[in-house]
Order: sequence, then structure tokens, then C-alpha cells
Amino acid sequence: MTTMTQTAPLVRVDGVTKRFGSGDKEMVALSGLNLEVREGEFLSLLGPSGCGKSTALNIMGGLLEATEGTVTFSGEQLTEPNRHIGMMFQQAVMFPWRTTLENVLLPVEIFGEKKKDFIPKAEELLEMVGIKDFRDSYPWQLSGGMQQRAALCRVLLHDPKLLLLDEPCGALDEFTRESMNQELLRLQDYAKSTAVLVTHNITEAVFMSDRVAVMSARPGRLVDIIEVPFDRPRRPDLQTTNDFIKLVAKARQMLELQ
Amino acid sequence: MTTTAPPPTPARSAPTPGPTWWERFRGGSAWIVITTVAVIIAFWEFFPQTGLVNRVLFPTFSETVAAFVQLLGGGYWWDDLAKTMSAVAIAWVIGVAFGFTMGVVLGTSPFMRQAITPYAIAVQALPKVVLAPLLIGWLGFGPESKIALAVIICFFPVWIDTMVGLALPSANEFKLMKSLKASRWQVFTKLQLPSALPMIMVGVKHALLLAFTGVIVAEILSASDGGLGKLTKEFASQLNMGLVYSVVTIVVILSITLVSIADVIERRVVFWSEESRARRK
Amino acid sequence: MAQIAVDSSPKKKNFLRSPYMLTIALLPIILAAWWLATTVTKSVPAILLPTPESVWIAFPRVLGADGFGDQVLRTLTEIAGGFALGASVGFFLGVLLSSSSRLRAAYLPFLSALEAIPTVILAPIIIAWIGFGIEGKILQAAIACFYAVFITTLSGLGLAEPNAVALMKSLRASKWQTMVKLRIPTALPVIFGGLQLGATTAIIGAIVSEFIGATGGLGYLMLRYRSSFDTAAYWVIIFLFLVIGLVVYLTIWYIEKRFVFWRRIEVTRPDLEKQ
Repeated sequence: MTTMTQTAPLVRVDGVTKRFGSGDKEMVALSGLNLEVREGEFLSLLGPSGCGKSTALNIMGGLLEATEGTVTFSGEQLTEPNRHIGMMFQQAVMFPWRTTLENVLLPVEIFGEKKKDFIPKAEELLEMVGIKDFRDSYPWQLSGGMQQRAALCRVLLHDPKLLLLDEPCGALDEFTRESMNQELLRLQDYAKSTAVLVTHNITEAVFMSDRVAVMSARPGRLVDIIEVPFDRPRRPDLQTTNDFIKLVAKARQMLELQ
Repeated sequence: MTTTAPPPTPARSAPTPGPTWWERFRGGSAWIVITTVAVIIAFWEFFPQTGLVNRVLFPTFSETVAAFVQLLGGGYWWDDLAKTMSAVAIAWVIGVAFGFTMGVVLGTSPFMRQAITPYAIAVQALPKVVLAPLLIGWLGFGPESKIALAVIICFFPVWIDTMVGLALPSANEFKLMKSLKASRWQVFTKLQLPSALPMIMVGVKHALLLAFTGVIVAEILSASDGGLGKLTKEFASQLNMGLVYSVVTIVVILSITLVSIADVIERRVVFWSEESRARRK
Repeated sequence: MAQIAVDSSPKKKNFLRSPYMLTIALLPIILAAWWLATTVTKSVPAILLPTPESVWIAFPRVLGADGFGDQVLRTLTEIAGGFALGASVGFFLGVLLSSSSRLRAAYLPFLSALEAIPTVILAPIIIAWIGFGIEGKILQAAIACFYAVFITTLSGLGLAEPNAVALMKSLRASKWQTMVKLRIPTALPVIFGGLQLGATTAIIGAIVSEFIGATGGLGYLMLRYRSSFDTAAYWVIIFLFLVIGLVVYLTIWYIEKRFVFWRRIEVTRPDLEKQ
């Protein structure tokens, strides 16, 4: 463990186990996961599909309840969704009957706040990700990458302390994915929030993160945590350096060894 | 044209065996069912006795049960049952065959399909029962008029579902067949027909219900030939409501049985299909 | 016949070669066949299908008859009333059952039985209960159209993507908010399908009910024309019903187009990771 700051972690996952079903059909998705997410860091959960990384993320977001163990967020035990935690999913989840702006403002409505108060901020965010011109377009008029950018604006609207990203770029093509990842890093830095990313893409995990938590499949458990020492902001050409490639190789080896 | 019970949760891809009937019964909703039924029966039994409603029109539950037993014991309705069911069966077979043929003839070519669509909409928009009195006037009170009406009513979904179903395969699937140099007939039998089958089966099932409706309508409207519809109307005109409810109960049981049988057949024939696939448009 | 499917060719601008030319061309062919069958070969009996001319001539006679407007109005009221009643109850019950798996497990089997039952069998009962008046027709039409709206509402409300549901949950949306902001809009295209089907069955319910016993309405009028062997007049009303059916169909279609403008929704349902 490096000693960056000695503040308490933002999220503490303590011996979390998750089982689905019962009897013969019981399936252990997650087994005794211990994890600390530090304030301000970018952490990736890396693992093959079926390793329970999304389950872990859903538990950290309060969407699922842990069978055993606890999750602490900002020093309090987390049992339900929290408005300081923002989630992004594999799909952008844009409602097709709402314009981009209306989609971004959805949380405002749910929280029962005044939409007017949030329009300037929403527009600012849309501008930052470069889709301000599409604020009155409907999602089906947007490309997949643009939709995911709008979803990013939606999640950042309320300055979440913690961003939970469930492969938000999983459904995008390689090029869009790369620029979207840049966008994610930029905005995470801008919003000064902490991020947890779930992915099965090794390069992506290493490129994005300060630390990569490598997980094993069935039952999902933590294998090890890789520290990623590169400076920020990170540029795409980082990916061709030797140090980067070595780290990727190390992560790959860990995944294959299981 | 597909109306089926919804999956409350997304279907899992692996075909896991569902809970058994008994498990579901114990699963927590049984008491709601039992309570509901008990309340209905209690209400049915005691409300008519309060004198707030006409006792003749609203016999008590026990009186209705007695009438039901009397009807079952009397045995004279067997003949009507046979008349109704044979008409339904004949009309269903003719309707399905006719609808399927129309669907194939008009549905294999996209050009024809598009040209015929306005007419299909018109046929759908026309409430076909308007023809009932004419058919009865022309064919008389025998089984022919019932069958004719039921055929006219029930062929439609088979026709449309066949037509739409044949158009379901994707462009890539057609390309695959083309790359294999498949003949038109091969494309039809090996790609289009299997793809359409789930949807056609929905139409076939729907047709069964519509044939039943058609026969009942004709029986209620026409005067002399027997059948369950006729029986209902007769008892109703004698204000023998206990017997009316009994016949309706029989019709309900019959139709549920028919649907269950059709469901089983459907599941056997198109075992590979997901409901959702058939709904793709 | 045209070559099989693959509609990869660019859209033909040439209307003369479009399928709709065939649609238009078919109309005179159908009329000619009707004329041939009734006038020349006489292979169709006149009590079933009169000649085109006689129907044409009958139009002003039927439409101009005393009190015709009242009969039309009466039937339309029955249809509209029955549709409004049946569709609202169907929608309401669909929402109610979709919000509780308990209620669904308990009552869905009963309500599903309505899919199977030919509701016309209830007509004699309804007449016995509330007579030949307009109320009975409305009730019959309502019963006829209830199921289609109910089941489409119920299944439509279940169509929301797991990810969208998770999003609402992560925002701590209430059940009501999820219903109004996510489930109902998602279900609308499917519900409109049910409304379309329900409208058709409501019309059928109203007509059958009038056939079985009524003191007025178009069905009643048809029976009168038939008993006086005025088949041409009867066919005029058939055409009228065709028009009513088409108008209802197009109206709902138009409302749907205006209201559910986002229909180009991609239906993707990657399940929430369950592992």
C-alpha cells in the first residue's frame, strides 16, 4: 500500500458476499470482497465477464443488497441509493420521449427540485462534452457516443462525490470509446469526484485508473490491486510506452493465472 | 395481434424449469385467490336474498349450482355441445387453411405485400359480424351459416400473421440464402416459413378463439339450429338465469380448455421461438 | 412475381412502378368482379350480394331516411362509450396489476380467462339484466374491448429496460415516479396496439349486441332491411361500418403518431448482470 494521503476512504467494502437464488440454483456472485476507494481516485474493477464486478458496483451504488458484509460510504453504512452517488450504465439509458436537455434534467425532477435552477449548469456540461447544439434533439437523433456523453452530463449535474461507471463505453466502437474515455477523465477531474469503473478491457483499465482491482471469476473475488503511477492528464500516446505495456502485461498475467 | 401474459422480469436466456404449480400456489398469492373467491361466492349467495335485486335475474350461488347440476344431469345439452364444437372445428380448419394460403400467395413478395396492405387494413377495420344476418338469411339456420361466419371472422389473423411473418427474416438472412444459391422454394421453406411459424401460430391460436366467437354469434342470432349460444339465448328468454349462468360457465371452461390446448400445441411446434421474436416488426 | 425480399435497392421514385399503383388498379378489378358475379353470371345470390348499381342507388335512400342520423349517433355513442369505459378500466387494472406481483399472481389467471371467452355469450345476460337500451350496448362494447387494453398495458409496463429501471432506482425515484416517467411512456406504443385492437372489438360488441336485441341503432336498422329483403340498403350500412372502422383506425393511428413520436426506439434489453 502506498501512502498518498491518510484520510479515511470514501468507500469501504467490507467482506461483501452476494449470492443469487437458493438451494440447487444458488450461485455465489461475489465472495468476501474487501476494497477501499480513496477520495479523489479513479479505481477500476477489472475481470472477466461473470466475475461479479457489476454486482459489486451495484452493491456500492445501493441498487443491490449484499448477502453478507457491509459497504460504508462517507463513513455511513450504505443500504439504499444515495444522491451523492451517480451511476452510469452500459447503455446510455436515454428516454426517447425526452430531448437531450430533458434527459439531463431527469434527476432534478426526481429529486423534486426546480428545473430552472439547473438549466445553466446542464447547458454548461453539454457544452463541455461538445453536444450543446443537440440539447433539443431526441436521443434517437444522436450517435451512441453522444448519448453516452449526455448520460455523463446527467450524472454530473448534481456533483456526485462518487461516480460508479458500469462499462459506460462497452457498447461503443473503439474510436468513440477512446475519446469518450478522455472525456470521462477530464470531467472526473473537473468535478473532483471519485470514480469506480467496471471493465473487462485491460488497456482501458490501466489507462484510466490510479489503481486497478483485478478480480477472478466464479465466485468473484479480489485477486490483487495494481498501482498505476502515471501522471495526469494522460494522453493516448501513453499507451505505447514501455512502462504502460508492462503494466498491461502484468494485469493480463494476473487474469490468466487464475 | 399478439396478446400474451407479460414476463414480469426479463426472461433468462437459459431454459431453467419454472416453479411447479404447487410451489407457485404456496408462493404467497394463494390466500388472495381463495379470499377473493370466497368473498364473491358469499356475496353471490347472500346479496340476492337481501331483496335489493330481482331474485329471478340474480339467483343465489347455491341455486345456480343446483341449476348447473340439473343441466349436467339432464344430458340434453350434449347435442348442443357437439353442434357448437364441430362447427368451431370445421370453421377453424377452413379458416386457417384459407388464411395461410392468402398469406403465402400475397406475402412472399414484398411488392404484393405492400400493394395489398390498404385492403388488409380495410378488411380489418370492417366488423365482419355485420355479415351474420345476411349469411343466416342465405344459408339458413343450419351449421353452414355458423361455419361461414366463423370462417370469415377467423381467417383474418392467420392471413395477416402469415404475411407479416414471411417478411420477418432479416436482410442478412436473405443474403446468406442467396450466397448459397438457394432456390425461391428453398428460401421459402428453409428460411421464411420457419421464421414466420411463431407468428403464424399466434394467428392460428387467435383464429380458434375467433371461430368460437363466430359460431356463438351465429347461434345466438339464428333461430332454430341448436348449439350453446342458442341454449343461452333460450334460457335467457325464459329468464331461467341459473341455467344461463350454467351454460356460460360451460362456454368459459370450454374456451379456456381450447386456449390451453392451443398453447400446448404452439409451444410444441415453435419450441425454439421467443415470444419477443414473433413480435418483431 | 418480384424477386425475393432484400430491400436494398434505393427507393424507387417512379410512382407508376410502385406497389400502390397495383393497389389502385385492384379497385376497378374488384368492382368488375362484383359486377360480373352479380349481374352477368349471377353466381352469387342477390339476397347475399346485390348488384353494384342497386347498392349505389340505395345510398341516398338509406342515408336520407327519416331519423337515420339518430340511429348512426346512437351506435356511435355505444361504441365510443363502451370503448372509453372498457379502455379506462383495462388501463387502470393493467397499471394496478403491474405494480404488484402479488396481485398479478392472484388475479391474472382470472382476467386472462377473458382472453379466451367469446364475450358475446354474455349478451343475453346483459339484455336480461338491463334491457334493450343503450346502456347494455355500452356495457357489451366495454367488456369486448377491456381485455386488449388491459393485457397490452400490463405487458407494456413490464417492458422498461433493466438499465433504465436501475437508473431510476439509483436516483431513488418513487414507484409512482418510475411509473409516470419511465414505465408508462415505454408502454405507450404497445398500449396503442391494444387500443387499436380494443376499438375494433368494441365496434363488434356494439353491433352484435344490437343484432341480438335493440330498439335502435345501425344493427337494428340492418335487421329491419334484411327482413324486408332490402339487401342493397343492408349493404349500404355495411359500407358505413367499413367507413366507421377505417375512421376509428386512422384516428387512433394518427393520435399514436403524434403522441408516440419516438417510436423509433431501439429495443435492446441487455439484462442487468446477474452474476
